[in-house]
Amino acid sequence: MGLLSFENVGIAGLAAAVPSNVINNYEYDLFFKKEDIRDIVDKIGVIERRFAGENTCSSDLCFAAAEKLISDMSINREEIDLLLFISQTPDYRMPATSILLQERLGLSTSTIAFDINLGCSAFLYGLSVAYAIMLSGNHRKALILDGETRSKVYSPKDRKTAFLFGDAGVAALIEKGEKYGKSWFSLNSDGSRESLIKIPAGGYRKMSSCETLKEKVIDEYGNIRSEEQGYMNGADVFNFVIREVPRDFNRLIEVSGITVSSIDYFIFHQANSYINGYLAKKLKLDDNKVPSTIAKFGNTSSVSIPLTIVSELKDKITASKKILLSGFGVGLTWGTAIINLADCKLSDLVEV
Amino acid sequence: MKEKFISAFAEALEMDVTLIGEADNFRDYENYSSLSELAVLAMLDSEFGIEIEMREFNKYKTIGDLLQLIRDRSAK
Repeated sequence: MGLLSFENVGIAGLAAAVPSNVINNYEYDLFFKKEDIRDIVDKIGVIERRFAGENTCSSDLCFAAAEKLISDMSINREEIDLLLFISQTPDYRMPATSILLQERLGLSTSTIAFDINLGCSAFLYGLSVAYAIMLSGNHRKALILDGETRSKVYSPKDRKTAFLFGDAGVAALIEKGEKYGKSWFSLNSDGSRESLIKIPAGGYRKMSSCETLKEKVIDEYGNIRSEEQGYMNGADVFNFVIREVPRDFNRLIEVSGITVSSIDYFIFHQANSYINGYLAKKLKLDDNKVPSTIAKFGNTSSVSIPLTIVSELKDKITASKKILLSGFGVGLTWGTAIINLADCKLSDLVEV
Repeated sequence: MKEKFISAFAEALEMDVTLIGEADNFRDYENYSSLSELAVLAMLDSEFGIEIEMREFNKYKTIGDLLQLIRDRSAK
């Protein structure tokens, strides 16, 4: 079973950066009629999102967030012994983006740096890896950089995905300390559902070619995309999520012995307001404990959980708060975590 | 059960309950779309405890087919 628990390691600070370019979804009528857009946008609840410019990568958003955090917390760069970069929109196929960021951030060459390639559940995976490494050895600080430019992944001519995704990057500082107490993680994977969210071409199984770049009408609704753009089977993802996410949630509650009522905030991956609303209802959670940024930033994949913490919990993390995180998506992978945020520094949102 | 289902289906699609008949192909309803389909799936889960894959769901054509699904699942 993919269950992990840690003691005395946690998130000391979080910063987030979003592109300054705001897309108003109701006005995003490049390829669809406004009345059709209204129905979609009302349902998915993404009113605005941010689009990175042509020359802005996930790593640039993470870099801005990291610089903000380093400055706000007066972090000594020499003490950063681990750098994780989480993304499925890296700068290059190789080298790994984490290595480029080690140099850009002026970190020591003795820094352990590598990338984690996972989607919407990835912040949980990244946290567990950082916690584990921090507890094995004499590491002082770890930096998790998690960024996505999903706006560049999906076709604006495919209504199933054209209005959902936005871009953002976060930086999280991980430190040891007794104030963090105990944390629990449940991490899961199901590769039999690999085709539900997928970019079929452009990797090494089906390499980029003129053919894979061609836009094609792909269904009876007239949606258009190329094989190098993302595809999503929303209905099957929905079916999967409403079944497995509550199951995993309840499993971790049972394993941890933490009562649902003692949890201060539940931070779900911001998929769309329909799925998120359904999950909160099914799990009978108090709306006031379920912060949301889906209306402001859309679905930013793995960034959505830490982005929601930075954007919605600022000034609310005074002493120690118990937080449950729930991530789910492409892979498919999903996970649940229960952590303590104790005096966590939440920086003001940076616009790039 | 039949009445409960038809009224839940009508609610999911935001339709008048009187417009729904057992022999209807539900995908032909004007309000049926890939988005309202999610409401139907959610309703099957929350009201009837039915977890279903799209591969199976796509085989069902009529309201009567879904009623049969509910009967079969609850008999198990």
